[in-house]
Order: sequence, then C-alpha cells, then structure tokens
Amino acid sequence: MSDTAGALQHPWSTLRLQREGVGLGMWIFLASEVLFFGGLFASYAVYRSFNEDAFRVAGEHAEIVYGSINTVVLLTSSLTMTVALRAATANMRDLTLVCLGITAALGAAFLLCKGLEYREDLKEHLFPGPHFPLSPPATQLFWGFYWIMTGIHAVHLCGGIAAVLTVFVLFKRRVIPVQGSTMEGLAIYWHFVDSVWLVLYPLLYLAGRS
Amino acid sequence: MSDDAQSSRREAARRRDREPQAWWLWKGPAVVWLVLLVLFGLSLGTAYLPLGNGNVAANLAIAAVMIALLAAFLMDLRSAQAIIRITAGAGLFWLILMFSLTFNDYLSRHY
Repeated sequence: MSDTAGALQHPWSTLRLQREGVGLGMWIFLASEVLFFGGLFASYAVYRSFNEDAFRVAGEHAEIVYGSINTVVLLTSSLTMTVALRAATANMRDLTLVCLGITAALGAAFLLCKGLEYREDLKEHLFPGPHFPLSPPATQLFWGFYWIMTGIHAVHLCGGIAAVLTVFVLFKRRVIPVQGSTMEGLAIYWHFVDSVWLVLYPLLYLAGRS
Repeated sequence: MSDDAQSSRREAARRRDREPQAWWLWKGPAVVWLVLLVLFGLSLGTAYLPLGNGNVAANLAIAAVMIALLAAFLMDLRSAQAIIRITAGAGLFWLILMFSLTFNDYLSRHY
C-alpha cells in the first residue's frame, strides 16, 4: 500500500487519470514519430514504384533468416512488455521486474542479431557507393533505404532498451513505485518500435522473394 | 505457535490468490502474441508465392492487421479514452494525407 501512496503525483486526483495523462503525452510524441518514419516509407514507395525490378533484385539479397528471427524476437518482447505493464498496474513488483528484464534482454538479442546481419551485408559489399556488386544501379537505392531505415530503427530500440533498464533499476531500488504511471509511457513506446519493424520487415526482407 | 500456523496458512492462501492472477495476466497478451506469430508466418509464406504485385499488397495488408492488433490489444487503444484514440488517429490521418498528396503527383505524371 505504501507503494501506491508514492505513486500519485501532483496535479492528478487519481492514478488512473495520471496514467492516461502519461499515455496521451506519449501518443502525441508517437504521432510525430509516425510522420518521421512515414516520410521514409513514402520515399521508399515512390522509388520502388519507379524501380520495381531493381528493388526486387536488391531485396533478394536481404538476410531473410536474421530478419525473421528478429521479427519473432520483437513480437515476443512486446508480449513480455505488456505483461510487465499489467503486473505493474496490479502492483505485482516481482513479475514487473522479471518481465522488464526479459524485455531488455530480447531487445539486446535483436541488436546482436542485427549486428551479425550487418556483418554479412558488409561482407557482400552491400553498401551503396563504389564496388557495389548489384545491378541495375537503382539497387543501391534499396540498400540506401535498408541502412537508413534499419539504422534509425536500431537507434530507437537502443533508446527503448536504455529506458527499460533505467526504469528497472529505479523500480529495483524502490526509487519510484511500480504502480505509478511510468510503465504506461514505456510500454506504448516499446510497442511503437515493434510496430515500425512490422512495416520494415515486408518492405526490406520480403521484397523479391517470389 | 497457533499464531505462526495461522500466519503461514494466511501466507499460503495469499500465494494461491496471487498465482491464478499472474497466470491471468499472461493469458490475454499471449493469445494476441500467438495470433501475431501466425500472421507473421502467413506473411513469410505468401512472400514466396508468385503473385506479382499481389505479394507486396498481401505483405503490407498482413502488416497493417498486425499493427492494428498490436495497437488495439497491447497498446490498449481498445479500452483507451477518446482523446487518446483521437491522438493516435491523428498520426494515421496525416500519414494518409502525406501518401495521398505524394502519389497524386507521382502517379499522375506523364513522362
């Protein structure tokens, strides 16, 4: 109960309202993020509509195994993040901590997998510029998008992992109570980063499989 | 002695109460997670079928369904206040506008 008492902050009258306030703030940020990634998706769509064959040829070289493993890893991290949020709301501290730990570990596993994939890509010189191995030249456009999109996504994920670990430590040391509104914003952000990957996966890994 | 027994019995009862609750917390999200995994498998599988332009359409349609499920059930938009749903919808609205206006230009050009 003492955990709950410290959770409510000024100016909120109830914990439910406070959580909604945090959720609203995070959604406003995410709406701007949608447009940030949307700009990349729109330019990808424009270039792909003009270079269909080149994008198909380039897409064949994306590492489908790493991409697919990472999709499952991120979907699973969304499951553990949701349970962490539900557990925090129910004031189940241990379960919240365990689920946060698993979520951060899955995030790190994603980055590790991504690093191994980047190594394979670079071994094949799949970086736009001189000595690019594929033709026609427009295949470089696809790989330009690949590096920018997956890079920016990885930066977002790094931010997510850092936030999860910070909250984990603050909960563990009882600096902030689990039942507060912290988890609300954290969970929504994490799911958003997962959602972006769900778009990147078909655009970058499934193009040119048939 | 009896106090000890009583408190340990109370402790056991509390644990019994907590355990089904912990299981119950996993149930809803786990069902959504399984559906998402099935959709992921479907997306991966259909990508290898020779459907021409249908491939990218199918893959993106499945991705849209997956994101909708994620947003509704895991991001809790299903039970969220109207103002939060409107804010989330605003992102989608401007995204649609950006795509519509961009492709109004590119798809109507005659080279």
